[in-house]
Amino acid sequence: MNQGSGLRALLQRRTAAVAAVRSFFAARDVLEVDVPVLQGGANLDHGVVPMAVETGRGRRFLPTSPEHPLKRLVAAGAGAVWALSPAFRHGEQGRRHSPEFRMLEWYRPGLDDAALANEVVALCQLVTGLDGPTTVLPWREAYRTFVGLDPASADDAAVIAACGPDATAVAGDRGAALDLLMATRIEPRLGLGEWTVLTDYPASGCAQARLRHDQDGWPVAARFEVYRNGLELANGYHEVTAANELAGRFQLELDQRQDPRLVMDQGLLAALANGFPDCAGVAVGFDRLLMLAWGVEDIAQVQAIPFAEA
Amino acid sequence: MGSMNIGDVNKGSKLIFDNAPWNVQEVNFVKPGKGNAFYKLRVQNLLTRNVLEKTLRGGEKCESADVNDTDMEFLYQDANGYNFMDQTSFEQMSVSTERIGDDKDFLLENSQVVVTLWNGEPIAIRLPNTVEMEIDYTEPAVKGDTQSRVMKEAKLKATGATVKVPIFCAIGDRIKVNTQTREYSGRVDK
Repeated sequence: MNQGSGLRALLQRRTAAVAAVRSFFAARDVLEVDVPVLQGGANLDHGVVPMAVETGRGRRFLPTSPEHPLKRLVAAGAGAVWALSPAFRHGEQGRRHSPEFRMLEWYRPGLDDAALANEVVALCQLVTGLDGPTTVLPWREAYRTFVGLDPASADDAAVIAACGPDATAVAGDRGAALDLLMATRIEPRLGLGEWTVLTDYPASGCAQARLRHDQDGWPVAARFEVYRNGLELANGYHEVTAANELAGRFQLELDQRQDPRLVMDQGLLAALANGFPDCAGVAVGFDRLLMLAWGVEDIAQVQAIPFAEA
Repeated sequence: MGSMNIGDVNKGSKLIFDNAPWNVQEVNFVKPGKGNAFYKLRVQNLLTRNVLEKTLRGGEKCESADVNDTDMEFLYQDANGYNFMDQTSFEQMSVSTERIGDDKDFLLENSQVVVTLWNGEPIAIRLPNTVEMEIDYTEPAVKGDTQSRVMKEAKLKATGATVKVPIFCAIGDRIKVNTQTREYSGRVDK
C-alpha cells in the first residue's frame, strides 16, 4: 500500500479526477446521484459473475455495475443521471482487473449509442488529457483486420483454428474462441494513438442493447466499447426499453449458467414495464481511466487500498 | 496432489501438465468486458527447464504438484550419485548424476544447496549463486596486468571444472565463480 506523501498524492489525484467528472456533467445538466449497492436481483451479463450477500433480510446481490438502479431512476423520470459507484465481479483479478472497483456510469435520454460514444470520448479526454482522433470500428471489421477472418461467415472450425496453440483452451467453444482472439489479438491493437470505438457487436453479445442490422444485413447489437492504448475503458448501449425483451435475455442467461444462487432483478423489470424513455447508457471503468491518465500498468497502482491488501 | 481452481494459481504455484511438474513464473488474467476469462501462464518445466506459455480458460481445474524446496548439505559422491543431508531432519538422500547435470562442476563437499523434491523424490538442485574454488592449473600469470579483459582457461580443484579467468590469475589462486553464468567473478584475497 502507498503511504505518507505518496498516498496523499494518489488520493489528491483521484479526487481531482472526480472533480473533473463533476464539472463535465454539471455543464451537460446530467445529475449526480447515489444508488443502493445491495440489489434484489443479479446483473446477468455474459461472462460476468456477481457476488451474493446475506443481509438477514434476504439475499441481495452486489452490483457488477450500477446499471440496474440507475435505469430504475431513469424509468421513474429522473432524466439524465450519473453515478460513481462501487462494482464487484467475482474472480476477476489481474493487472487490469480487480474484484472491487469503481464504475462511472451514466444514462442520457434522447441520445443513441453513437452520440453517447462521442460524449464518452470527450469525458475520457478531459480526465486523461490525451487527445487524438476517434475511429469507429465495427466488431466484425476488427476480426477481419487483426485476425483475418470474418465472424459473420467463418465456420466454428476456422474460428477455433485461428486461436493457434491456444485452441485447446477453448475446447471447441466458438464463443470462447472469439473472446480469446479479442483479448489477445485484437484489444492490444485498439486505441493506439487514437480513441477506438468498437461497435456493432454481434447479436449474441447484445446484453441490454437493442438490436439492429449492419450494412450487410447481419444482426448486431447497438453496443459499443471505447479503447485507448489497448485498454478497454467503457461499455455502452442504446438501451432496450421493453421489459419482456430484457426478461427473455435474462432467462436465457440464467438457463445457461445453472447457478441456483442467481435470480432476475424484478425491480428493474417492473420499472421498465412502467415505461422507459429512448435512452443510451454507458459504464466507464473509473480505475482503468485513472490507469490511462497516470500511465500505470497495474490497477493496484491507482487504488489507495488495493483488493489484495483490503 | 489434488486439484485447484485456475483462479487460485499464483506466481510460484507448482502445477502438473503432461505428467511433469511446472513452476508458474507469471500469471496474466485476460478477459473481454463481457465474455470468457482466460489465464495466460508462463511456466517452466522443473525437469527439463523448458519454458512455455500456456492458456487456460477461467473456471478450469489444474492439478497441483507436490513440490518442495529443502535446504541440504552436499556430503559426498559415490557410485549411486550425489549424497545430501537434510538440514532439519538429518536424513540422507541420493540424487542421480543425471539430475545434477552440469551443476556437478560447482558442487563442493559440505556446501549448502537447495534440493527440489517432487513427491518426495529429488528432481533438481539449486547451487549457491557463487562458490569459491582453487585454480589447479592455468598458463603462467601475466603479472601486473589486473585491468586486462583478456581471458585464459583455468582448471579448478575439487571438481575439475574449467572456467575462463583473467590472465593475471595463477595456479593456487582462490577465485569466485558465478554458478549460474559459469563466469569468473573475482579473486579471493590471500
